[in-house]
Amino acid sequence: MHKRAYGAVAVSGVAALALSACGGSAPAPTTTAAGGASPSSAASTPAASPTTTGAPVRDQNVDLVIWTDADRAKTVSDFANQFGQDNGIKVAVQIAVDTRQQFKDATKVGKGPDIVVGAHDWLGELVQNDTVAPINIPADLAAKFPKTAFEAAKFNGQTYGVPYAVENLALMRNTALAPTAPKTMDELVAMGTAIKAKSGGKVSNVMLQPVGKTGNAYFTYPYLSAFGGGIFAQKANGEYDSSKVIVNSPGSIQGAQVLAKLGKQGVLTTNVGDDNAEGLFDAGKSPFIIIGPWGTANAKKANIKYAVSNLPTLAGGGQMQPFLGVQLFYVSSKAKNAAIAQEFVTNYVTRKDVQLALFKALGRPPALTDAYNEAAATDPDVKAFFEAGKNSKPMPNIPAMNSVWGPLGQAAADVISGKDPKTRFDQAQKEIVANIAKG
Amino acid sequence: MSQATKSSPADQVSTPTPLWATVVKWLALAVVVVATVLLSGRLADQGYGLYIVLAAMVAMAVLAVYATRRNVPAKYLLPGLVLLLGLQVWPIVMTVSTAFTNYGDGHAISKEESIAAIVRSSVKEVPGSPRYQLSVAVPEGAPVATGDAVYLLTAPDGSVKLGTKDGLRDLPAAGVEKSATGKITKAPGYRILNAREINARKDLTQFAVPVPGGGGIKASGLSAAFEGKATVTYDAATDTLKDTSTGKTYVAKDAFWMPQDGQGQGFPQGWKENVGLKNFQTILADPTIRAGFLMIFTWNIVFAALSVITTFVLGMLLALLFNDERLKGKGFYRAVLVLPYAIPGFVTALLWASMFNQEFGLVNSITGLGIDWLGNAWAAKAAILITNLWLGFPYMFLICTGALQSIPTDVREAAKIDGASPLRTLRSIIMPLLLVAVGPLLIASFAFNFNNFGLIFLLTGGGPFEAANTSIGSTDLLITYAFRLAFSGVAPNFGLAAAVSIFIFFIVALMSYTGFRRTKGLEEVN
Repeated sequence: MHKRAYGAVAVSGVAALALSACGGSAPAPTTTAAGGASPSSAASTPAASPTTTGAPVRDQNVDLVIWTDADRAKTVSDFANQFGQDNGIKVAVQIAVDTRQQFKDATKVGKGPDIVVGAHDWLGELVQNDTVAPINIPADLAAKFPKTAFEAAKFNGQTYGVPYAVENLALMRNTALAPTAPKTMDELVAMGTAIKAKSGGKVSNVMLQPVGKTGNAYFTYPYLSAFGGGIFAQKANGEYDSSKVIVNSPGSIQGAQVLAKLGKQGVLTTNVGDDNAEGLFDAGKSPFIIIGPWGTANAKKANIKYAVSNLPTLAGGGQMQPFLGVQLFYVSSKAKNAAIAQEFVTNYVTRKDVQLALFKALGRPPALTDAYNEAAATDPDVKAFFEAGKNSKPMPNIPAMNSVWGPLGQAAADVISGKDPKTRFDQAQKEIVANIAKG
Repeated sequence: MSQATKSSPADQVSTPTPLWATVVKWLALAVVVVATVLLSGRLADQGYGLYIVLAAMVAMAVLAVYATRRNVPAKYLLPGLVLLLGLQVWPIVMTVSTAFTNYGDGHAISKEESIAAIVRSSVKEVPGSPRYQLSVAVPEGAPVATGDAVYLLTAPDGSVKLGTKDGLRDLPAAGVEKSATGKITKAPGYRILNAREINARKDLTQFAVPVPGGGGIKASGLSAAFEGKATVTYDAATDTLKDTSTGKTYVAKDAFWMPQDGQGQGFPQGWKENVGLKNFQTILADPTIRAGFLMIFTWNIVFAALSVITTFVLGMLLALLFNDERLKGKGFYRAVLVLPYAIPGFVTALLWASMFNQEFGLVNSITGLGIDWLGNAWAAKAAILITNLWLGFPYMFLICTGALQSIPTDVREAAKIDGASPLRTLRSIIMPLLLVAVGPLLIASFAFNFNNFGLIFLLTGGGPFEAANTSIGSTDLLITYAFRLAFSGVAPNFGLAAAVSIFIFFIVALMSYTGFRRTKGLEEVN
């Protein structure tokens, strides 16, 4: 072997290394977009479906770019293409794996899409970083939606998104075990306990609700809301006030006492968490589970006969009201095609056929009232989930919500495993207020 | 190859170069040049000026080093040097520079951008104002892309108006055609733009037809317009924002616009600025951080040390066992033992998390212990060490097997002849030789486990937590603690996180330095 040969080999190696080093140090997304998101879109638009977890690369040659997650991409691109044909433009729908983060990062450096599809609780964070633009919604259009849907899309008195679906928790039951729906929590516990006793060990839990060792504030909230408690007080205009935390208000404490009681009875346990709650229900281990619309698909797959009903009422309080989540189309503040993007979200996303198509793909109740009515007529699940969230308030979209998840979840978990509700929720209140003050 | 590396520069002159090597070399160099040009093109498209310069410098360095016969040492050093700069030095520079800023959510844009964003998002529809059907047009004959844009508007009562940059007036109705929805499709003297043409006019985002009262008619999409008015204005002279709807004045404070009178809330859009040593002060002064630090730091060291010791002891014992000549089918056993190492760590961690479940987990159902593995502070620590033992011993097994096989058999035979017992041989002969070989790897393993974010995050999330403080977990490492500290406030604070990671860097560096000094001592003994 000669010296020269070695040199040549080294050179070719270095060529590769040097290039990879450059690529590695640049913050630009290096994923190359390839392939079509769907057969129908591949024909007319160069829609991208990246195979890695990187952010999609914005297509320079189209008139409108939409980012969404993989679940929604197919449907969104179908009607985005229709919109493109109607207006004589080219539309690309791209899949962003971690849509929220990737949208924020890409928009910051001017590489984001014109439109992004996401949940309403991202809003505060997106406004904070100036990544979404206000949308002007005429009053007659807003009236076609339930009031809470646009309330969720508002931040500092300005509307930032167009709703297409709503989602919330409800009570799902295994009809083979529990044929009728319980109205109250006491009824539920009595029914569940009897079913468990009769089953000869097959049923392990009276009811399933993800708690986990560190708790889950999202599932805790309905207990607080049943007594008029909650997380933040609302301002006169319906927005949440981050300076008024009500985690230790009398109503919230009453809710915490119910958690404590259920914990003592063994109905709620920190050994059931996000990782196993659905699996246990789908294995027939419990007659009841508190879950959102995402749970129906797996229950069907597991051949569980189920029915969905309202969350139960709590003794001494009202009905448990879950958080309402609203799915939105946002327009980027750095949109390169702002006019088309605004046109798309205000006049196209609000169409009944579009909302129904998204409903068929996702199984969430449509936000548009007309579309919902049509969906509810054919799909009992959608009707049941919508009814369960009919009077509920939107999940807070203010950035201060980031300071709540940890302390409130842990407080609930501790109460369920035996700590004193009043003391523990007082501590959580103190911690949340301190976190918010830190900014 | 090894022959080639040993040859001296003198050989290089004397040995003739084969043709194929020269061809391959110049081809590879050509590839570098072409690739650099392509890369620069892409970078230029995306507006990364600095990176073009960097790419060009790397390419020039490659040419200067490999195209010439000089710089032989650089031929070997360059790849490592480039990687060192790109993957080590560059991130460190970025981290350090971030540590002196308040960069994070709510502080991601510049002050000018924050003013623009606040003013822009304060534009609200004037109550009771009409909403128009809109067609965008240019005067007949004017260029579509640059001609003065006008808005052809249809009011709700059906009357047609003409909006220009000077104001709103009536449009002569003669010859005007409208669609079924009322949108003007034809107006004499004007050329109506289609969707793509409107979109191409980036100036239209700033365009508004001025109306009395200070507002303006703005487009909403392609076919509608509304009368909007910005309620917030910026006064550059006093550097304040004024909200005309409430009469409040906002001043710049802590990189946010806060009300001057201190009452109520400021605007959410803050800006990024230099904060000097504030992040470092926060770390040293914040009572929560100080209280948690000592406890977490102690556990962090214990965790890293115990992880290394337990995995090393188990790995070494197994390696000794499987190094015995009398054992049959060693290859098979070794392959099986390496399996935990071959499964992705995060899968294993999640699997163990479910196995440690108090009620449904495998561990309790086999042992019948009923321990609340993930809910009790001490049990959770044990659970983490057990999981890490499972994850880590194959690595130690591998390196020990390698090191054992490199220990010459004659030393062992000599010990045997001298009458040393197997245990004595192990203690006095094999262990010292083994430790010289694997010592630096143990330190590396310590440093790795010191920052073993993934395991903690997936298994316990740092929990269980002390009642009143959910930012300090009983299984937290400094790195998971820093993560929570930076991201559990109202807004993720990358500046603070960067400052914490600089502290962690110094701690790990100090301990590694001491460790390496020790192993050096070990070598000298031998």
